[in-house]
Amino acid sequence: MIIVEAIEKYFGNVHAVRGVSFELAPGQITGLLGPNGAGKTTTIRMIVGYYMPDRGRVLIEGKDTRTAGAAARARVGYMPESTPLYSEMRAEEYLDYRARLFGMKRALRRQRVATVCDRCGLGKLATRRIGALSKGYRQRVGLASALLHDPPVLVLDEPTNGLDPTQIVEVRALVRELSKERTMLVSSHILPEVERLCDRVIVMSGGRVCADGHPWEVGRGSATDSQEYVVECRLGDQVNEALLLERWARVPFVQSIERRGENRGEWASYLIKSKAGGPDLREAIAAGAVHCGALVRELRRVEVSLEVVFSRLLAGEDARGGTGEGAAKP
Amino acid sequence: MRTAGTIALRELAGYFRQPAGWIIIALYLLLCGVVFITSVLVPGRAASLRDFFALSGWLLLPVVPAISMRLIADELRSGTIEQLLTSPVSSLSLVVGKYLGGLGFIGAMLIPTIIYPALLFAYSSPSPSVGPMLTGYLCLLLLGSVYLALGLLVSCLTSNATLAFMVTLFAMLGVLFLPMAAEVAPPRLASVLAGFSIGPRVVDFSRGALDTAHLLFFILVSSWLILACAAVMEVRRWR
Repeated sequence: MIIVEAIEKYFGNVHAVRGVSFELAPGQITGLLGPNGAGKTTTIRMIVGYYMPDRGRVLIEGKDTRTAGAAARARVGYMPESTPLYSEMRAEEYLDYRARLFGMKRALRRQRVATVCDRCGLGKLATRRIGALSKGYRQRVGLASALLHDPPVLVLDEPTNGLDPTQIVEVRALVRELSKERTMLVSSHILPEVERLCDRVIVMSGGRVCADGHPWEVGRGSATDSQEYVVECRLGDQVNEALLLERWARVPFVQSIERRGENRGEWASYLIKSKAGGPDLREAIAAGAVHCGALVRELRRVEVSLEVVFSRLLAGEDARGGTGEGAAKP
Repeated sequence: MRTAGTIALRELAGYFRQPAGWIIIALYLLLCGVVFITSVLVPGRAASLRDFFALSGWLLLPVVPAISMRLIADELRSGTIEQLLTSPVSSLSLVVGKYLGGLGFIGAMLIPTIIYPALLFAYSSPSPSVGPMLTGYLCLLLLGSVYLALGLLVSCLTSNATLAFMVTLFAMLGVLFLPMAAEVAPPRLASVLAGFSIGPRVVDFSRGALDTAHLLFFILVSSWLILACAAVMEVRRWR
């Protein structure tokens, strides 16, 4: 369980994080999104105890990072962005060193190092010098290091950064498996990655949280001004297209209707946009088509991708002047 | 503090895994050899390492900054400090571990110099006294300890190892020139500067005098500098 309560962070005159609050429960993967300078890394660093918040507090499994720092840090597994490691050490030697820092006894260390090497697919490469490993394998060493002490909270900063497609699929599966018994926070700028992996997304911009919810909810909630529906129906000789369009135009909240592409025989496709705050219009659109005698082959609401939502949210923040001050990282 | 030991061992092993560690040892032994030949191995002179130890402050001058510069600065540059500071290790354990690792390396560097007293014992008649040699080595270790703590503090303040080397070197030079500064300073300041001077203490040690005041001076200054390092690391979290 991670509880973040109104944390703020200044770097000199730069107000990097401004009153960020959220709670993360176990068994859930939460994605932290935002452009460069949004305050993601600073927020993550305050959660893992690398920085202390200037105001507010962070509780890790009930332990305050300010007053019980070591106890809080002992409950977090953290994989920083770009996975800094000691290149002159062998992977298993590095993991053993990390296990010592977490106070593990020799027998437990051996067992945990073997377990995480196996779980992260390090195999025989665990005996190689870290400097001689590929970026993907160094990433695995970083992940193994984060899992070493079997922490209840895992914070992964760009976990699939630099991995090839096969490795991405493997890491994604591993993260999903790990999330069953843990609280997980994953920072990423790869939006499809977050959409696929996370149960919840928190979007940050200008040091603030500007959206928080299920990826789908975030998509809908912030895109109420642009709900779109695609309708494909057969007009035939009996259907008056003008009447059909007029019928649809009379449906409350319909803003515009566009014909999409060329006619494909007697089939026609339309894009209907609704106004902000409207209900689901699919029933009304279908009823209008049936009333005019048109046979509907397809009727769907266009799901707004997180990428679209993300750029809209950021455009909104820019319009409010929100991204200016938070764009600095020490 | 068990974690300090873990960090110290990793640090010590790290010096021997990289060519830089071996080059530092070679450089120091070369300097020692030059001093031994020119100031000790002089025909007709009494068998004594007094001059050798008296010059020890200067011998450590280029070597200790090279040892201390990477202690924290390298971690800051490479980002591995993030892994250290997010593990349940206190800032004090971290700097003590780093310091002990560096001190262990200085100790390892001094071991081959035992050949010089061994040569004196083997070939000189009458044999040299053991006392000044033991206090001389203790002095080298204590001096190295103060310089290392100073270098560690500088290393905490920058992620640039070269800058850490240069600043430590000039700070050490400043410490060595304190007695000269004391001569020209106003009387009140002169007494303070003289109190912090290292040169006269090194001379006492090389004569074989084990003064507890000198011993305490080296231990307290090193401890104070280590605590300052821990404070700097803690401030990094809260800045």
